[in-house]
Amino acid sequence: MALSTPPRRGPVRADLEPVFRAAYPRVVAVAARVLGSRDEAEDVAQEVFLTFGRSSVPAGEALGWLSVAAAHTALNHLRSGRRRARREEAAGGGEAVCPDIAETVVVLDERRRVRAALARLPRRQAVALVLRHSGLSYAEVAAALGLSPGSVGTTVRRAESALRKEVNRHASSG
Amino acid sequence: MRHPADGTLRRLVDDPVGVGDADREHVARCPVCLSGLAAASQDAAATGTALDVDPDVDLDLDVDAAWRRLSRAVAARERPRVPASAPVPRWRAALRSPVVAAVGVLALLAGAGAAAAADWVQVFRTERIAPLAITQADLVALPDLSAYGTVEQVADADVREVADAAAAEEAAGLPAPRVGELPRGVTGEPTFRVGDQLSMVFTFSAEKAARAAEAAGEPLPPPPAGLDGSQFRLVAGPGLAAVWGASRGVPTMIAARAVAPTAYSSGVPFETARDYLLSLPGLPADVASGLRSFSGDGTTLPLPVPAEEMTSSTADVGGAPATVLTSRDGAMVAVVWVEDGVVTAVAGSLSSDEALSVARGLRRGR
Repeated sequence: MALSTPPRRGPVRADLEPVFRAAYPRVVAVAARVLGSRDEAEDVAQEVFLTFGRSSVPAGEALGWLSVAAAHTALNHLRSGRRRARREEAAGGGEAVCPDIAETVVVLDERRRVRAALARLPRRQAVALVLRHSGLSYAEVAAALGLSPGSVGTTVRRAESALRKEVNRHASSG
Repeated sequence: MRHPADGTLRRLVDDPVGVGDADREHVARCPVCLSGLAAASQDAAATGTALDVDPDVDLDLDVDAAWRRLSRAVAARERPRVPASAPVPRWRAALRSPVVAAVGVLALLAGAGAAAAADWVQVFRTERIAPLAITQADLVALPDLSAYGTVEQVADADVREVADAAAAEEAAGLPAPRVGELPRGVTGEPTFRVGDQLSMVFTFSAEKAARAAEAAGEPLPPPPAGLDGSQFRLVAGPGLAAVWGASRGVPTMIAARAVAPTAYSSGVPFETARDYLLSLPGLPADVASGLRSFSGDGTTLPLPVPAEEMTSSTADVGGAPATVLTSRDGAMVAVVWVEDGVVTAVAGSLSSDEALSVARGLRRGR
């Protein structure tokens, strides 16, 4: 996203450091949910904060804006296919969760399918899903995406259902 | 009462207090809704597990290091910005040597690899290095690309010291250079440094280039269609280096390896950008023709060599053509070559024979 958005002119905003320190873990967490790789997530966070530093987003909306930007940028990375399977495997940390190698392979394969499916979801659904699973409250997701609070549950539910179907479809077909 | 919406059932899964009493009571008594709730709960749990790849992600983040990285990127973005009221000498210095800017752009085009997005076309990949003699008169200023557009550093190298060769190899994903026999005067164990992948985006601006040419008193040749606003993404690294004698201030020898630069264009072909840049006013004819021939196939990286200070020659390092740079005072020698997309360099206060001997040893041992 930062690449396709021309850098705005003007000074770097004065509150960049406090906002960065407060929001960095959240922004990395959002990107990591999408990418499944912490290193890549940190790269995305850098891109996002670089854009934020030149923006005039009100401080009160910074966390929501940054979370949405992290989700979009990470989804762009997924879609553009600039990821490397090597990195995902290296960063997957699968063995810590499941010591059995065969199980690890299955889990990694499923995660790959989940991420491919995530990239195919309607963008708004994917972003709402990722934000909710990154710990944003329903109200925060609603505010960040300009949705009514009531429709966040619907959007997330649809995304989860679509994700399950996508993953199952691709699992059975190949 | 009608059944609550799917979204309401979903919210009952992880935020029941957000759901009204009436809906909650209905669901508790309704088999249809209970089944819907169970399905929503299952999908939510499955999604949570699938997305939660790195549960420790926010536990041990190095926020300080990340902030330093961002600060450098912000500073790198700041640097090329030249306010309209910039002191004249700086403009003059930059403009007197468009070669510097052109070399800079080409080095950038030529100069920076992986990670091409779907809409980025690879336009350059370093397979060879060719020295390009540039006189001091041309090198009055560092490359000032801001005269021709904007440079944005997307990711910086963050060069840092690591514990040992194994750590360097892990960080850079490249084999560390192993030197069997050290030249005389080079002693001790090396320290290791690594740098991450460096990534920059240069956006050409016809308006800026026109202003630069106007300030130089020469008209700007009309840019080819599509060049204005087109972007070039340059990637290099990661890399690693073994450094001997660093504890004494000036290293006695360095052996370094890095993924060679690659460039990507968002649309305009490399040749188009190159030919245009080489037509900019003020570029000495021999330098322009040198750049054109070196970069003709999009695989040779022109390496600017200050002609007053260094001489260059070629040598063979175990079958790979290498460039040997020697300082005129004989104090420094560097051997550089590219193989399989990896650039390797051996440099230090050595004789060229010593440097070549180390280089050949490296190549054999890798």
